[in-house]
Amino acid sequence: MNLIDYLDPLVSAVLLAGIYAAMSIGMTVIYGVMKIVNLAHAGFMMMGAYFVYELFERFHMNPILGASLALPAFFIFGVVIYLLFVQWLPKSDQPTLSSLLLMFGFWLVLQNVALLIWKNEDRSIFTPLTFAVIRLGPVTIAKVRLVVFTAAIISVIVLQVVLRKSWFGRAVRALIQNPYAARIAGVDDRRTAMLSFGVGTAFAGFAGGLLALLYSFSPDFGRPFLLRSFVIIVLGGLESFSGVALGALILALVETFSIMVPFIDASYQPAITYGLLVVVLLVLPKGVAGLLEKKWRVA
Amino acid sequence: MKGLSFRFGNLEAILSLLVLAAFLVFPAFHPSADVMRVLFTTFVWTITGIAWNIVGGFAGQVSFGFAVFYGLGAYAAALLINAGRSPYFAFAGAAGVAVLASFLVGLPTFRLRGPYFAIATIGVTEAVRVLMSNFSFTGGASGYRINEYGEFRQSEHYYQALVILACAVAISAWIAKSRFGLALRAIKQDQDAAAQLGVNPYAFKLWAHAIAAGLTGIAGALHARYNIYIDPSGGPGGVFAFTTGISILLLPVIGGIGTVWGPVLGGAVFGIVEERLTIKFSQIHLLLYGALLIIIVLLEPDGLVGLLHRVVNLFRRRREDSGGPGADEVLWGRSRLEGREL
Amino acid sequence: MSISRFFSNKRFMTLLLLVSGCVVFFASAIPAAAQGDTITIGVVMPISGREGKPGQYQKEGIDLAIKQINDKGGLVVNKKKYQIKEVFYDDGSDSAKSASLAERAMSSDNATAVIGGYSTALGEAESVMPDRYKTPWLTAGAAATSIFSHGYKYTFGTLTPILVLGSTTAEFLGSLVDQGKLKKGLKIALAVENTDHGIDYVNGIQDWISKHPGYFTVVFNEKFELGGTDFSGLLQKVKASRADIFLSDAHLQDYITMQRQYLQAGMHHQMISYGARGPETNARQALGDGVNYIFAGVWWSDKLPYPQIKQFVNDYKQFTGHDPDAWYAATAYEAMRILAQAIQQAGSLDKTKIRDALAKAELKNSLVPGQVLKFGPNGQTGYPFVVVQNQPGGKVEIVYPKGSATGAPIAPTP
Repeated sequence: MNLIDYLDPLVSAVLLAGIYAAMSIGMTVIYGVMKIVNLAHAGFMMMGAYFVYELFERFHMNPILGASLALPAFFIFGVVIYLLFVQWLPKSDQPTLSSLLLMFGFWLVLQNVALLIWKNEDRSIFTPLTFAVIRLGPVTIAKVRLVVFTAAIISVIVLQVVLRKSWFGRAVRALIQNPYAARIAGVDDRRTAMLSFGVGTAFAGFAGGLLALLYSFSPDFGRPFLLRSFVIIVLGGLESFSGVALGALILALVETFSIMVPFIDASYQPAITYGLLVVVLLVLPKGVAGLLEKKWRVA
Repeated sequence: MKGLSFRFGNLEAILSLLVLAAFLVFPAFHPSADVMRVLFTTFVWTITGIAWNIVGGFAGQVSFGFAVFYGLGAYAAALLINAGRSPYFAFAGAAGVAVLASFLVGLPTFRLRGPYFAIATIGVTEAVRVLMSNFSFTGGASGYRINEYGEFRQSEHYYQALVILACAVAISAWIAKSRFGLALRAIKQDQDAAAQLGVNPYAFKLWAHAIAAGLTGIAGALHARYNIYIDPSGGPGGVFAFTTGISILLLPVIGGIGTVWGPVLGGAVFGIVEERLTIKFSQIHLLLYGALLIIIVLLEPDGLVGLLHRVVNLFRRRREDSGGPGADEVLWGRSRLEGREL
Repeated sequence: MSISRFFSNKRFMTLLLLVSGCVVFFASAIPAAAQGDTITIGVVMPISGREGKPGQYQKEGIDLAIKQINDKGGLVVNKKKYQIKEVFYDDGSDSAKSASLAERAMSSDNATAVIGGYSTALGEAESVMPDRYKTPWLTAGAAATSIFSHGYKYTFGTLTPILVLGSTTAEFLGSLVDQGKLKKGLKIALAVENTDHGIDYVNGIQDWISKHPGYFTVVFNEKFELGGTDFSGLLQKVKASRADIFLSDAHLQDYITMQRQYLQAGMHHQMISYGARGPETNARQALGDGVNYIFAGVWWSDKLPYPQIKQFVNDYKQFTGHDPDAWYAATAYEAMRILAQAIQQAGSLDKTKIRDALAKAELKNSLVPGQVLKFGPNGQTGYPFVVVQNQPGGKVEIVYPKGSATGAPIAPTP
């Protein structure tokens, strides 16, 4: 392998990082505000994929537009779920087993509902764009990856701006930094939690819709992305939004280049990813971003 | 103290011995091979549930990684039996390997707290699974097979599982009332306060983890010896699969977390549900589990034990708190008990 | 601990006793299936979970065969007529459940024989039970030789081993060289799943290459994790190996995922194959014309030029409402047919006699390539593979061997 051979994977790793960031950021929002490790994230992503698929199949809607529509639709879905179920969970400033199990239960239910509606078949969204490639000298870029990357990055930036500028964003950040002080200062933690859950779900649905452009999907879709989201938010320090982008980039690079290592079979690659998760937890419990900013109070 | 409500009294000891005796003579009535199989599988699952409860329930360290010990136990037993050792030696070996693994996993990860520990265990399971499905001496991703010649005697497997289950219950009951168990509960409620009182949380967690891993390893060995073929895949049914780790954790949650009888009860229900309902309603069995989880978490966090308490209290026409610390407690870090009515 | 608490515990214990007692009694009270003039055949297939789609097709094949036999009056065993009763269990692609359901069918349902185990892992898990319960078991979907190498007496398989798939693939490529369509000395990249399936495939190819020097060289040989989502890294490595031919061995889902990423990486090889996968409708739905020119070694094709094939395709279409998708239904259909024939030949419902009859059975006018289905000494069959190629316009043509070809191979890939 010569140097040129590394250029192609580098580009695809960066493009992959964009969608990784979009799919993990929803999880960070929910974890940061409510300290819920949202296992149903995978289920929401899967539903997002089918949402875009149905719009595309029935109304021939552009999948990117469909994914954008998933944002409001899944926001409402998330708020409803919050009001019906999640708000009854015991409040805590630490993750609880019950929240974890509740979300896991949801994931199972969502999976089964999808199974009943769409059957256990691989579906995929197939547009003229799907196999189109751009060749820039030695580098080949799939157009659809470029489009997905752009959409993902725009959404992440918009969310960042919202979190920086709006009342909601200030409340979210206050709750993440110091829940006690935030409550004393008059932050409505219930309302913020509700909106955060909506936003987290919305981004899961959106990311699922985008992922549907890249992969074929079935009701089990989302499981591997859930584990990746874990790795990413841990790399990012669990509650840091800028950390998510960094974590996504690191994971995408590690995943892509660990395969390129000679003498190691490609089948070992997932072990490297999960090993990375454990090592980062042990060595950098505050994530890579935690090296830069210290905001996690010593537990 | 709430956590002590299910102490192992003399009466309970006698009653549980009676139940044990009933199960011991049960094969004499020539039940069908299928019933024996259901019971055997239920025993094996229950052992893992009891084991998990020691770390996850008593000590409050939620682990998603018990599939590691289950799988390693299965492989260790298979390798030993194929090397010509007796099954009992193989079970001991499985326990040994699992205990060793528990230290390898626990030494670094118990330095972590709360969600970090739980997430780390997910990473560990997945990494171990991928490694095991690539080692060629165990057949890689194609799985491994026990070559045990001689006639298959189902009752032998049944009795082995039953005896180990009885031992597991006894260990769990002993821990619940011993100073060791008290220390574990102290760690669960407030690790820092426990440390100030002279309990070394790190060491106690490690020991609890080792006991639990040993039991889980034997359960894996029982499973392997009965089923002969070990599937290392990440799909359902694989010994190292994430879903296996989740199933192990479900038993105490269904039955009642942090209690001696919770996992036993949970195991019985899980065994029946798994064997009877999922066959009849295979199209909606995920839905069944999901709904069950949601209902338990939201309505009866103390699981079946809590539910039974309510029923008993209804009989007594006296309102009492349901006993046993439940899933609504903060199981990581400090304990917070908030009254919560729907 | 208060006294009242203690009393409530006592009650609790009583309840616990009652509950466990009830459980045991109800569990044992479930009656065994009544035996009339029926023969019970157990069918354990995944119709949900990862392997749900092919499992569904295999079940349909078995259902069809059973219906046809019953419509004709059933099986005649020792001058007595029996209807076939099917006991079906969905194992949800769960290997542990698959084994215990096979066990259940053999023990409490007292099935005369069991057909099951689509895909290798589930087949491996089930294959333990037949000898344990002395009940014949046939798999129509697990081809790994490892299942049949343990000296089991009651296991039978209607799929030719994967090793033969590998050598047939290489043979086919060799024939293209002989015809002048491909050049001699081309470089092959092999990327296979990390199971016996993949390993057998590679061995078959390398066997052939070492016996026919000068044809091909293998420049890349790696395994990947079964059920992955992202193969782009692996594909980059394949690309960097500068091979001329890309051969993979993958399950249906992995094939679809990998081919998609292959196209998105803008890759191109003179020939490309995913082992036994390729012509599935699912893949065409997911990838459109992206599946064109992929060739596959398969156990069966609806293009085979035998009269019984047309009949089967018609019956199947009438029965299920859709065309047979790839080979899945056919091998399962044949498994049921050869089993039925063996039961009649045994002249008895004795499972050992049926087993002996199966070992000797020879199904003539079979759907499989070569038209004869029979089992080797280890219980596995050995009929030849046919090579099919996806061609433009949604066509699938048999391109090898010459005798059954319905079209010419398009090589190299334009």
